[in-house]
Amino acid sequence: MLSIKNIERFYKTGPLTTWVLRDINLKVSEGEFVTIMGPSGSGKSTLLNILGMLDQPDAGEYLFFDEPVHRFNEKRRSELHKHYIGFVFQAYHLIDELTVYENIETPLLYRGIKSAERKAMIADVLDRFNMVAKKDLFPAQLSGGQQQLVGVARAIIGKPKLLLADEPTGNLHSSQGETIMELFAQLHREGMTIIQVTHNEKNAQYGTRLIQLEDGFVRDDAGVARLNV
Amino acid sequence: MQFKFILRSMARNKVYAGINILGLGLGIAAVLLIFQVVRYELGYNKNFSRYDRIVRVVTQSQSSEGESWNPCVPIPAMFAIPDAVPELTQVARMREFWPSISVPGAEDGTPPKKFLRKDPSVAFFTEPSFFEIFDLEWLAGDPKTALRDEGSVVIIRSEAERFFGSWQAAMNETLVLDNVARVTVRGVVEDLPPDCDLPINMLASWPTYIAQQALYYYDDNWGSCNSSNQVFGLLADASQLGAAERSLAKVGEKQYAENSSTGKADKTHRLQPMSDLHFSDKLNNSAFRTITKGRLKVLSFIALLILGMACFNFINLSTAMASQRAKEIGVRKTLGVGRGQLLRQFLGETAVVSVLSVALGVAVARLCLPLLKHISDVPVEAPFLSLPQTWAFLVFVTIAVTLLAGFYPAVVLAGFEPAGALKNSVGAVRGGHRAWVRQSLVVLQFSIAIAFIVGTIITLSQLHFIRTKDLGFDQNLIYTFYYNNDSLSVAKLNTLKNRLLQAPEVEAVSYNTDPPSSGNSWMSNFAFPSNAEDADFALQIKYADTDYPKTFGLRMAAGKWYDPSDTMKQAVVNEAFLRKMGVEKPEDAIGEDLKLGGRAGIIITGVVQDFHAFSVHQPIAPLMISTQRDYYYNAAVKVNPGDMAAAARAIESAFDEVYPEQVFEGHWYDETIARFYEDENRFANACKGFGVLAIFIACIGLFGLSSHAAARRAKEIGIRKVLGAGTAGITALLARDFIKLVLVAFVLAAPAGWYFMNRWLQDFAYRIDIQWWVFVVAGAVALVGATLVVALQTVRAALADPVESLRSE
Repeated sequence: MLSIKNIERFYKTGPLTTWVLRDINLKVSEGEFVTIMGPSGSGKSTLLNILGMLDQPDAGEYLFFDEPVHRFNEKRRSELHKHYIGFVFQAYHLIDELTVYENIETPLLYRGIKSAERKAMIADVLDRFNMVAKKDLFPAQLSGGQQQLVGVARAIIGKPKLLLADEPTGNLHSSQGETIMELFAQLHREGMTIIQVTHNEKNAQYGTRLIQLEDGFVRDDAGVARLNV
Repeated sequence: MQFKFILRSMARNKVYAGINILGLGLGIAAVLLIFQVVRYELGYNKNFSRYDRIVRVVTQSQSSEGESWNPCVPIPAMFAIPDAVPELTQVARMREFWPSISVPGAEDGTPPKKFLRKDPSVAFFTEPSFFEIFDLEWLAGDPKTALRDEGSVVIIRSEAERFFGSWQAAMNETLVLDNVARVTVRGVVEDLPPDCDLPINMLASWPTYIAQQALYYYDDNWGSCNSSNQVFGLLADASQLGAAERSLAKVGEKQYAENSSTGKADKTHRLQPMSDLHFSDKLNNSAFRTITKGRLKVLSFIALLILGMACFNFINLSTAMASQRAKEIGVRKTLGVGRGQLLRQFLGETAVVSVLSVALGVAVARLCLPLLKHISDVPVEAPFLSLPQTWAFLVFVTIAVTLLAGFYPAVVLAGFEPAGALKNSVGAVRGGHRAWVRQSLVVLQFSIAIAFIVGTIITLSQLHFIRTKDLGFDQNLIYTFYYNNDSLSVAKLNTLKNRLLQAPEVEAVSYNTDPPSSGNSWMSNFAFPSNAEDADFALQIKYADTDYPKTFGLRMAAGKWYDPSDTMKQAVVNEAFLRKMGVEKPEDAIGEDLKLGGRAGIIITGVVQDFHAFSVHQPIAPLMISTQRDYYYNAAVKVNPGDMAAAARAIESAFDEVYPEQVFEGHWYDETIARFYEDENRFANACKGFGVLAIFIACIGLFGLSSHAAARRAKEIGIRKVLGAGTAGITALLARDFIKLVLVAFVLAAPAGWYFMNRWLQDFAYRIDIQWWVFVVAGAVALVGATLVVALQTVRAALADPVESLRSE
């Protein structure tokens, strides 16, 4: 599904070069549930942003469904992104001025989906996440777990091929976190490719593969089964 | 959905939305008012359907003093023009006059009804071709015959209603003009609109003018060019202006050369298009009101500045608050929004603000419409919101404001990198780069505001200077009125004078052509002494009786006032005359004689101290005052201090007793003089009004920026307080950044203000020097305003409990 080769990311501050990612090589196939772990500052979020086309590498190649993303302009990246990728954030990042319903609707608007079809899609998702009663509330009126449910709903409503999650349970109580992870597992079973960044070892166990980052290098890349031993 | 979103986010940021809408609304109100002025002035004379083909014949004169222009045409030239200029398909001779009008009493002893002249209004003696040039709407009468015979007049509907109750009743009724000329109403036409430079109330036939030669100074010499004798014509095609002017140049060529002292023609006739009639700075019109296109451009520029300032507020607040929106933008980008969609969203938001601001602006402009008279001539009742042009302009303003205010912030916001935006590092990292734009805009705003304040102070100082300047004569406690100078009326002048002097309020009475300072001028070529060659410049002349110096408090530099006389025998001259003629001691001029026109041997009996014969725009010119009783038509009455209204009543009743059939209209002379400076007053008012607005808009912008800065730096303030910083220190810390900007603005605005106001002052022959304190005051006003506004915010931030701001993480 995607592959990156020799990806590098660094910041130059005067004569100093700060490396965030160095020589990253990675292949992800459809249907995988990948977990990226590593200490703070190891470059996990940057890697996720690059995979999600929110950030660009300073060097290296990125092929997404065999398309050379690293050579695309912003407009084409935005197109790919719009149709294939969903994002879930630690801080939910819902738009405060929009209701639950409107937040979920936003990506569909950007894809130019017709009103009737939009209504049906949102109704489905609200129903699936048990949020029908809350559709007219604003984010500030919801608990953290509920906000993240909306965040996930918004990320998957467009049926993306790839779901990226940056510490999706980082701001949640453990029980709320479990609900979200169960949801991810279910989405995975339904065939969605998921890449998550987390600090939480328990969350990593929902995945099928674990990548460990340290100081911008991949330190370890293995199936999750080995961890379970 | 987007509209709802915009309203919700406005509700969340009420203060900022309020600042934006208030600032833009006030700016738009100012723009709308200026639009109304410019639209009104540009619409002048368009009521005539042949507007672009109508021309006025005018006279361009050359002398050693330079070139001068006059709308006059000598009467013989009037008759020569139709044949000499085939490009003019119609030519109408016209003679301006301003008659007093009365309806004569009946046989049964009903008294005559007298009517005061309405201002502005003008009557013309003219001929039927007038109606071929100017289309008027006829209510009664026939344009072909109405002005054919002696004693025929056409009046406008409102005058007909005033004189006879209804226009239908006016036909074939009799009127008396200036108490002498009996005329018959042969036609009634609809009133002309107020935005017309021919504010006609009556048209009288040309034969009537000839029949009343003495009364209306009919003079058919080539040498006589009276600015009231005018010719309008109609070109077959507007493009023939040049050809017509070439034909016209031949009119009077020979005669003007014969009359000139140099033997070469010193005058030539030119054409002034109707479209220039209202905008000329060289030639006056019958409404006595012109406005240059330059002035309209200055006004439009002011409108643009004010609107720009209001848009800057919007730009500044939107970009300052960008960091707050960074998250939203980042999220939208991860959801796949395109750059174009984002731009459209932000412009849409600005459009909503624009529409609300325009609505506020329209409301404010409506309320302020009556204030327009302080800066312009636009009547309050002139159509405004009922005009499609106004609505088209509103649509234009909405779009312009949306783009002007919204485009830059939209580009900035849409340009956020989503990864950074979601980390919320935008404000910290990128904000610094963009701060210079905001700072420049604040500097620009305050520069404009300070320049306006400088302008206000200088115009007000100059007006004060004019008002308090010693003009060389008294202007207070003098009541003036015109009387008819037909022989019958003149015979009763002594009776009137004696009757006036009996009134306890009256100190002195003088008959004359003009008060010392007036808009009129009489000029003549002259020689000094009599046997010398004619001087190469014209002499200003006033004719007055021997009570003139007493009435107006004129002071003698040497000698004495001339003796009483009905004709020109003796004269006094002013000091400027002596300087120009090289006479060093005033005493040396006394007893000398001069020649005026062809008339030699006028003995100089005294030298009067210089006084301002015109407004202070013009330098004091050489002047002669002499006697010529049959020229006088102005009476001036000096009264003693006390009840001025009672004095005015006493004067009027004396007049009514002596001239029961004449219309009386008196004016206090100081008010007449004040009217010379109406234009300057308006300019000062405009400066004042727009200056206050500019300061206000700049300050509310600063209010928004400083409150945002205080909010953004709440954590820093909290930490500093925990570390022991005092309230004063923190206030200073926050205020310093903004105060610096005002200081930079001052440095920019002071020289610009000096330059423009210095140019404005050049228009006055007598003017103030620009003082350094003007700039200090202007800077101080801006600084105090800015400091107060900023302090309001920063003190609050400094007083805030640090625990609150630090707890948030």
